Amino acid sequence: MSNNSSREVSFSDNMVKIGIITVCLAIVANFIPALYLWLVHGIIPDFSTILSIWSLAFVTFGVGWIVQPITYYSIMGVSGSYIGWVAGSVADLRAPCATMAQKVAGVEAGTPEGDIMSTIGVTSSVFVSVTIITIFTFIGAYTIPLLPEFIKSSFAYILPAVFGAVYAEMSSKNLEIGAGTIACGLILVYLLPKLGVSSIYMTLFVIAAGMLVARVVYTMKKKKEQDN
Amino acid sequence: MELKAIINSPGLWIASSFMVIVVVAQSIIFIRAAFKEAKNVGLTREQCVRGMRSAMITAIGPSFSPVIILVGLLAVLGAPTAWMRMNDIGAGRTELAMANAAASVIGAELQAGNFTIEAFGAALWGMALNNLGWMVVALVLTHRMAKAVNLLNKKYDPKWIKLMMAGATIGLFAYLLSGQLVGKGSPNITAAVVSAGTMLFISKALKKYPKLQEPALGISMLVGMFVATAIA
Repeated sequence: MSNNSSREVSFSDNMVKIGIITVCLAIVANFIPALYLWLVHGIIPDFSTILSIWSLAFVTFGVGWIVQPITYYSIMGVSGSYIGWVAGSVADLRAPCATMAQKVAGVEAGTPEGDIMSTIGVTSSVFVSVTIITIFTFIGAYTIPLLPEFIKSSFAYILPAVFGAVYAEMSSKNLEIGAGTIACGLILVYLLPKLGVSSIYMTLFVIAAGMLVARVVYTMKKKKEQDN
Repeated sequence: MELKAIINSPGLWIASSFMVIVVVAQSIIFIRAAFKEAKNVGLTREQCVRGMRSAMITAIGPSFSPVIILVGLLAVLGAPTAWMRMNDIGAGRTELAMANAAASVIGAELQAGNFTIEAFGAALWGMALNNLGWMVVALVLTHRMAKAVNLLNKKYDPKWIKLMMAGATIGLFAYLLSGQLVGKGSPNITAAVVSAGTMLFISKALKKYPKLQEPALGISMLVGMFVATAIA
């Protein structure tokens, strides 16, 4: 038992180290085009403009900056988070791939094996997405208009289809939690906007509902075990 | 040098490639570390390869969401910038919104007559400053969250903590799924229900066909999309 947890710790420490270094590099790389424009072409907004731009970003997206990495941690894990918040597309691409990698290896989220499979899943998804995006950067403008109308129309349904399948997979081990939570989700997403609740708070409400349903199911199951 | 020339210049291509290189290098380093650590937790190489294959197949479909938006971004920001920004954090819509907002700070607008090189510069800073937010939070909070979970596991029943985190994850995706269903029209509902049903069918009824399990999510997604399109 203690042997396991010391390996857990060493793996995690290694992941954290890799994560911190790579995210720092990403932060620098993030600014290189803007710096290039300045150093090579002499174009740069003045400091007060840059500050205004940052404030605009903070006001518009700031809550997401903080809430999203926290709320997605439960599915992404340590390495998944470092990778996902650099490479992006966390909800619709990285999380489903993390889930599927765990599924086919027969491991559960939140375990050391689960974390490793999730890492493998997220990294693999990056290789694929970068390849596809790169290919289409060059041929996209020509080829996309050539696709059959049926295929083009179907792209409109990528998100509901992906989330539907991911949700089914996540609920398959906990059907009661899955059913209860989507019921709460639909009700909350329908009602809360009418009460003027913004989408960030809606997210938190539905997550809370999920945890509540999980608690209820846990207590019910524990009671059943005790009765038996 | 005029705007269009700069936006598509070789220099900007090189400047934009650093981010993509970091994204790919990061994943290479992480996957190698994961494969190495796998045996220490009792995972076979076979399981790891299976997971990798399944993730790669699963990634194909959803990768087309960025592709659609990419084509739009190409016209507005040029290929190097679009390529870089679609490969990093920040959904296409977010990048576009941020680029536009930043340009508006100096009184310009994307694709309008007043979109000068200065406006492009503002757009570049805008996207960089926005994306910085997520990366800094991930940098600062990730290991703290890991520590927090370890603490919770020590204080409470780990089985309950695991269930609670599963509940939180399911809650998050219930929110995402509900967002695609509520007030969105019946084709969306069809897509989600058919996709979910296909996924459950492949996972449970076709459990004895392991070869089908890896592409299960990819297949479910396509079936959901195509049925919704056909019926719409």
